[in-house]
Amino acid sequence: MGDALLVLLTYAAYVFIVVMYGGKAYRFATLPMHLRWDLYPVMHEPTYRYGGSYYEHLQWWKEPRHRRFLRSFLFVLKDTFYLGEYFQRNKSYWSVLFPWHLGFILIITFHVLCFLAAVTMVLGFSVAFGSPDMLGRIFYYVILLSGACSFILGTFGSVGMMVKRLSDRDLRGFASPMNYFSYLFTLVVFLSGIHAWRADPTFADYREFWTGVITFSPKGVQPASALHIVLFDMFLFYLPLTRSMHYITRFFAYFWVYWDDEPNVKGSERDKKIQELLGQPVTWAAGHIQSGKKWTELAMGMPADPQTNS
Amino acid sequence: MRERTTLNDISKDCEQLVTIRGEDLMPLPPPYQSGYYEPKIEALSEQEMGVLEASLDGASAILMPKPKNKSEEDELVRKFLSGLRKLLTKENNWTFLQPLTHSLDYCGKCLTCSEECPVYVSSGRKEIYRPSYRSELLRRIKAKYIDGTGTISSWIQGNGVELNWNTVARLAELSYRCTLCRRCAQACSRGIDNGLITHEIRKLFSQEMGIAPKELHAKGTVQHLKVGSSTGMTPPALENIIEFIQEDILERTGMNITVPVDKEGADILLIHNAGEYISWPENPAAFAVIFEAAGINWTLSSEMVGYDAVNYGVWYDDVQFSRVAVKHAQIAKKLKVNRIMVGECGHAHKALITIADRILTGDLSIPRESCLPLLEEIVLGGRLRLDPERNNFPVTLHDPCNMVRLMGIVEPQRRILRKIAPQFREMEPHGVRNYCCGGGSGFAIMSPKSFVGWKAAISGRMKLKQTLETFSDVMAPETRKYVCAPCSNCKGQIRDLFNAYGVWEKCGISYGGLVELIVNAMVDIKKPFIDWEWH
Repeated sequence: MGDALLVLLTYAAYVFIVVMYGGKAYRFATLPMHLRWDLYPVMHEPTYRYGGSYYEHLQWWKEPRHRRFLRSFLFVLKDTFYLGEYFQRNKSYWSVLFPWHLGFILIITFHVLCFLAAVTMVLGFSVAFGSPDMLGRIFYYVILLSGACSFILGTFGSVGMMVKRLSDRDLRGFASPMNYFSYLFTLVVFLSGIHAWRADPTFADYREFWTGVITFSPKGVQPASALHIVLFDMFLFYLPLTRSMHYITRFFAYFWVYWDDEPNVKGSERDKKIQELLGQPVTWAAGHIQSGKKWTELAMGMPADPQTNS
Repeated sequence: MRERTTLNDISKDCEQLVTIRGEDLMPLPPPYQSGYYEPKIEALSEQEMGVLEASLDGASAILMPKPKNKSEEDELVRKFLSGLRKLLTKENNWTFLQPLTHSLDYCGKCLTCSEECPVYVSSGRKEIYRPSYRSELLRRIKAKYIDGTGTISSWIQGNGVELNWNTVARLAELSYRCTLCRRCAQACSRGIDNGLITHEIRKLFSQEMGIAPKELHAKGTVQHLKVGSSTGMTPPALENIIEFIQEDILERTGMNITVPVDKEGADILLIHNAGEYISWPENPAAFAVIFEAAGINWTLSSEMVGYDAVNYGVWYDDVQFSRVAVKHAQIAKKLKVNRIMVGECGHAHKALITIADRILTGDLSIPRESCLPLLEEIVLGGRLRLDPERNNFPVTLHDPCNMVRLMGIVEPQRRILRKIAPQFREMEPHGVRNYCCGGGSGFAIMSPKSFVGWKAAISGRMKLKQTLETFSDVMAPETRKYVCAPCSNCKGQIRDLFNAYGVWEKCGISYGGLVELIVNAMVDIKKPFIDWEWH
């Protein structure tokens, strides 16, 4: 019964996080196109090294654009892992934030790998130290490495973040009880990982549990592993309630705001979309805005009552 | 010990939340070492204190009247909340809702952005000037009063901010303590933009409550649309000024130029910030000299709005911004020009070329570009006979945020200076990492007496420091030095800043545009074009 509940909880946690993250991402992605708000350097520009743009060229609209999407993508991806802006500007914060973040990334990697290893096990491969299958041996070592590193780094990072925020008066001024709860909760999750690792040094139990999840046939695990599974599931329920989506939304911020330098061209799809947006009514109440009129009508007209502002 | 102001203090009932003291400010390099004269942040008179809001830091940028009674206060608080709701709707704020949502929802409160802000650092690190201070206030007000989170949730989020008139009034002033330079946004690895949040707060006050500095609204966009220019210059006045400029060109250069006005079918419609005609007529004159000497097919417009490139709406009000941008495009269309070119004005560059790109649709989508690439082509393409020795004095370049960090126009102006100014030297940092002049987002033209001192002592302080450090090896006043600032508003701020500290008298540092330096190097012009005594 307990094993079945554990599997059900795991299903629920993963469904919850996917639905919640998906919903948030969808809501954000479907917000209307906004006015340009470029910020340089724009990484897809050929002159990104000094922050140049196509506006440096005479009659820029007559020239073909040379955008390097891959460079932009790799730049954000690299920064997601390395947190380079923090390293450059705020080393003491980086020194605790980096292990904390790496702990998250690795704990997720660990679970994804356990899932994939379980798939291979269901397909008949053996995942173990002395496995005859190369794939099985690779999974064995990578799971061990990612799990161990995640729990150790995450523990250090959780404690470090808490100490940093408590000891720095400036940071403390902006902190909320929820920040401290997050540090404590993640500390418990990472510590439970260490506890599970001690009880099951090769994570064999964990892989077995995942074969049970995949085949809908719950497998019994040691109490230490069960505790970590429960806490990690709770962590998955908790994540969407926090600002953790920033792993994803930072891509949106760069690609859809700062680096969205695509010019509008008469008659283009973009042009039509903007015209639709300009056709919406405005209900701002200040006297110089005729509330109820459409954006287009307002832009073409003069202020109704110019004296309203102080 | 540093004075601490917490987020919750914003609603506190006190006469003034923060006091600016000279000894707290960031030290300046020689000859302005500690103890040297500091520009005074003039306090409001007793009479003004009775009727105007200045309870943030003693300065009043908006000159906002105090509510007469409690019910007026409550009504203004209600309007603020109504505006905040509208700021979060697709219909009323499609223009910036997506970036605003992101910046409100995902800040990690690491405060890394603080050290990037010249206002915060220059002030001696006053809490209220942190880029994230006003953003966090807005976040907490939204959470508590819009999202409707309960008491427990408010406690979990540490949200003790009370929304009362003090909060609203101080937040309004606080939105005019940031120059929207967006240097803080560059430092944020999550892509949080405190400059954008400030911009949105200003919009809320203007678009819902009718509250904005008079220099930006009544005397700014409204006057621009009503009489033709935010300077108050009417079409007949422009005609007189152009006549004067032609005479001036003849006297200074010997060139008999007729400035083309309303020339239908010209290749380029050149639009200057009208402040140039009033304060620095040598700048439009230099453009005329260069364009005529290089054989450019260009024109100015004499139609209302068409001779003033400014668009103050870009700083505080999307509707006013759209009105001005549309007018510019309509005038270009009427003149049947191929393209609009913006003169040396940073915010006009960004407003008309970049931001208006998604306002100007269909036939109004006329090509628009900066003057800098054309100037580069003229200078580096050998279309003028130039002698760099004529500019053989120390020159540095101020990067206007709007052109550089926010548009990526970095190198054309540098390539020109490397060609025509043998002693050109960079400020540090420069390019897209530059510091704002301190006059950005409208500050350069905002002149309430308490705010004038604040601009000189705080928002312009980092630029002054940077300038002094750049010329530290040639600081003697006898060595004339030039800060090239290809932006009208930056020039206005630098002029006021240098005057406040007596920089010309003590250090021999003057300022001006880029075209003036180009004309100064023209071999065919006998007399020097730069007038050092006029600053």
